[in-house]
Amino acid sequence: MLEMAKREISELRKDTPNRIASMRQQILREAAEQREKALADAERAGAQEAERIALEAKRQVESLSQIPKDRRRRAVERAIELLLS
Amino acid sequence: MSANLDKLVEDIVKENRAKAEGIKREGLTQIESSLSKARAEAIRDADQITRNTKTECDAVVNRRVSQEKQKARLAYLTEKNRMLDDVMREAETKLVEFCRDESRYRPFLLKSIVRGMEAIPSEKVKVALSEEDLRRYRNSKLLEDALARMQTTKTAVLSDEPIKAIGGAAVTSQDDKVRVDCTLEGKLELMKTQLLAEISKMLFAS
Repeated sequence: MLEMAKREISELRKDTPNRIASMRQQILREAAEQREKALADAERAGAQEAERIALEAKRQVESLSQIPKDRRRRAVERAIELLLS
Repeated sequence: MSANLDKLVEDIVKENRAKAEGIKREGLTQIESSLSKARAEAIRDADQITRNTKTECDAVVNRRVSQEKQKARLAYLTEKNRMLDDVMREAETKLVEFCRDESRYRPFLLKSIVRGMEAIPSEKVKVALSEEDLRRYRNSKLLEDALARMQTTKTAVLSDEPIKAIGGAAVTSQDDKVRVDCTLEGKLELMKTQLLAEISKMLFAS
């Protein structure tokens, strides 16, 4: 009976490193999966924000070309005035 | 006798069973403890991965945002520069028109020559003009008018060598050692920063 108990425990002990390794692997695999998902989410969020910035930039660049002709004419005149002064 | 023997066997079995259970209990406790320690360690490592992930994610977002902001800024500045260049080109075109207008251009040219002659520390000076101006003013009293305006004893001659310029003049000392560039191009170059700042202020100020 004692031998049987010792054998049983010995078997369990022998198997412990495998159980530990498997448990550790599972915990770390889950963490790695979460990391991958979080990074993909961050890529998506970054891309969305980048798209928003690009749109805003496009709007700003377009607004430059809408500068009134009168203001542009006055700028040319001012440049000439300074040059000829 | 037999009953006593049975009792003895029963006691021994009982004792052994208790011992076996003790061994198993102790063994299982140790195994559980090892597993528990390993689990805690794995969870700590996983937590570290999670913490690092947060930093990595922030870096991913920041990198994309920063790249796009830089791109946007570059596009905005490129467009601004393009517009400034356009205005400068337009100003140059207007200057060419200005130079063709004798009534407005002559006083400017005269002032440019005076300014050039004043800057040359020499009694005899040479004045160089563009090919077109040379043709236009060769036989006029341009230099005499300039000297009269200066009220000076200096003497000036018109150089036969034309200069490449929209307008204005280049004045040199007789020995060619000192040269003052009073051409429109020279002034444009000299004032470029100021002009761009002024145009920029006028065009883009909100």
